Amino acid sequence: MLKGLLLLVVMQAIGALLQAVWLPMLPAPVIGLLLLLALLVLLGRIPEWLEQASAALLGYLPLMLAIPATGILLGGDVLLAQLPAIGAGLVVSLLLCIPLCGVLMQRLMTGRREDD
Amino acid sequence: MTDALLQLVHAPLTAIALTLAAFVFALWLYRRTGWLVLQPVLITMLLIIAGIRLLQLDYAAYREAVVPIAWLLGPTTVALAVPLYRNLRRIRANIWPVLVTLLVGGSASVVLTLLAAWLLGADLPVLMTLATKSVTMPIAMPLAEQLGGLAALAAVLVMLTGVLGTVMLPLLLKLAGVNHPAARGMAYGMNAHAVGTVRALEEGDECAAFSALAMGALGVLTALLLPAAVIGWHWLGALS
Repeated sequence: MLKGLLLLVVMQAIGALLQAVWLPMLPAPVIGLLLLLALLVLLGRIPEWLEQASAALLGYLPLMLAIPATGILLGGDVLLAQLPAIGAGLVVSLLLCIPLCGVLMQRLMTGRREDD
Repeated sequence: MTDALLQLVHAPLTAIALTLAAFVFALWLYRRTGWLVLQPVLITMLLIIAGIRLLQLDYAAYREAVVPIAWLLGPTTVALAVPLYRNLRRIRANIWPVLVTLLVGGSASVVLTLLAAWLLGADLPVLMTLATKSVTMPIAMPLAEQLGGLAALAAVLVMLTGVLGTVMLPLLLKLAGVNHPAARGMAYGMNAHAVGTVRALEEGDECAAFSALAMGALGVLTALLLPAAVIGWHWLGALS
């Protein structure tokens, strides 16, 4: 568990370093994610301790997401002032993009299977 | 006596206890009812806000106190590499459908969101924040800031999209006749990111794998392409 956490933190730290030097457009954790993925591909398997640490952390994801979301206490004024525009943006894109993504993926996959 | 009590209420310990209690209760409520609207993220956030108001805590001090919990979001984002790696073979077999769906669906989502909000008069910082709403939170917050949006608002919008999307997804997918687990997973991950992925886990392993993939890949693609698109847009504006 701690070994896994250590690896994740080290990957994020290397990510932060790369971000500062070369990749200012990518957040450090995302660079860390890509580095870890590359490492796992090289390794060819997932070590037990990494599996444990990541499963534990991912289970608490809603908790970690809820904390920055409480920032609504500060950004709430902007949200309320432009609520119709923001609400329309969210709902319209969801209404159209959910069927679009699902149907497109399903068509593309079945199309390929018929070709094979 | 009251002084000691006041001191305890304003100690960092109280903030952490409030946060953990909110989450434990939210999880219990969601599992007990199974209602999609009662997403643990949403309920946890509402309970924390209620607690802060009730105990009259200073918000900046609250955020300072819960840094030990909030800090874990970074390593947790890195940890998404694990489910991604686990399904690498399945993903490789469908790499073209996945890439086309990500590019077409991802662009459509950003364009439609911005168009609808712009028509209704949203200003530039809000538009730049909205552009990041389909992306998982650890990517969306720094990205929104970089594009000239508002990080605090980004966190809220990402959460709202996740909850709204998760509520709307099952019905819309049924209406559209989407029943392949991989296609359902892509729709969950692209439209409701982490919140949708939690729900996709309930539908099964293949659905969850593609949802995690869609969430992660859309996040990385957006982080790379959106700043480039905004710079290109400014360039075009400068030229004309």
